[in-house]
Amino acid sequence: MQCSDFREDMLDVLYGESGPAVARRVEAHQAACPACREEMESLATTRRSLQAWRLPEPARRRLDRPWSWAWRGLAAAAGLVVALGAGLGLAGSELRYENGRASFRLGRAGDPELRALLAAQEQRHQQQIAALRASLAVESPRSDDGRALARLRDLIRESEARQAVLLTSSLQDLSEENARQRRYDLARISAGLSYLDERNGKHVAQTTELMGYVLQAAQKK
Amino acid sequence: MNGMNPTDEELVARAQDGDASAFDVLVRRWERKIRGAIYRIMRSDDDALDLCQETFLKAYRGLGSFKQEARFSSWLYQIALNLCRDRLRRKRGKTWVSLEDLDDASGAPRNTGPSALDLIEARDLSRTVAVAVAALPEDQREVIVLKEYQGLTFLEIAEVLGLPMSTVKTRLYRGLGQLKDQLERQGVRSATVVRPQQA
Repeated sequence: MQCSDFREDMLDVLYGESGPAVARRVEAHQAACPACREEMESLATTRRSLQAWRLPEPARRRLDRPWSWAWRGLAAAAGLVVALGAGLGLAGSELRYENGRASFRLGRAGDPELRALLAAQEQRHQQQIAALRASLAVESPRSDDGRALARLRDLIRESEARQAVLLTSSLQDLSEENARQRRYDLARISAGLSYLDERNGKHVAQTTELMGYVLQAAQKK
Repeated sequence: MNGMNPTDEELVARAQDGDASAFDVLVRRWERKIRGAIYRIMRSDDDALDLCQETFLKAYRGLGSFKQEARFSSWLYQIALNLCRDRLRRKRGKTWVSLEDLDDASGAPRNTGPSALDLIEARDLSRTVAVAVAALPEDQREVIVLKEYQGLTFLEIAEVLGLPMSTVKTRLYRGLGQLKDQLERQGVRSATVVRPQQA
């Protein structure tokens, strides 16, 4: 017989799965074959080295806590919230929780309109001041200073009153527009979440199903 | 029937009759081993967690069609290995050996036991062995993991893989030979004093 004919028997002996007859046969061959004896020793050494591979700590810890599977679902949900928050943040939006109430605002949508409104108001203001200067120039330089000052105050007061009314009205319009936009965006987000929820539903159902078993098992321990 | 410590076959029969608690016992009994095997093949905590969960889900759903001609554990290993193969196939070409996930905590100080030097050496050896096993061809790696780390018999491995026992032994022999060469190239010639508990 050749050495290779003993290979399977040698493995049986190496792993303690041989019967007495096979063990004797291998032993007899190795007594007469230094190469096979050396190979057997070498394989045994390799086996001992292999036992040095230990599971890393996280893997072992998880093995001890099978119910840690539940955290996968929570981790996925947390990831979704972070991603949603980051997206909204990049869009300039804001999600707040104050006094037990959550509020959501799409941040930059109204800014250009507000700036345009203020620019228009400033333009009107400049026009009124220019008109005032013109009317003062028409009057005699020798006219009464007290009368001129009173007239100036009246003009400014009228201008401010008009602007206040205009600003209030414009801000109200802007607020309503923002509220409409907010309702629309919230509806879109809600629809998006429903879609994601449906997509993840299968995975969640699987996790829940297995968690039932794991929790029951943990309770029985 | 052994009421205190029912066999897998008894538990499977009860689960097939609708006793869900019987499957709980099977999960408790095998979860650690299956997850350990998956980890050693995939070398990723996340994959081990995912695929182990999927293994038991598949097993639970397939209980109705499971014929008790094979061992329940062999069937579980079969499912787990198939899942590993699928995932490795999908990953192929995308990832390779990651040294980070080899980072174990064997260096944690203990009041008694091996010295700090022993632990550092053991940690290095653990990494070296992990890399060497990861470098094996997939078919050899499976056999090495099932034999060395799961302690299955040749007969059980043949059952899990659906192969003749001689093929299993050939793969094991080649795998051991390759590991020996690889470890010697890395300067590893003997086992360390730190003997781990294996899953």
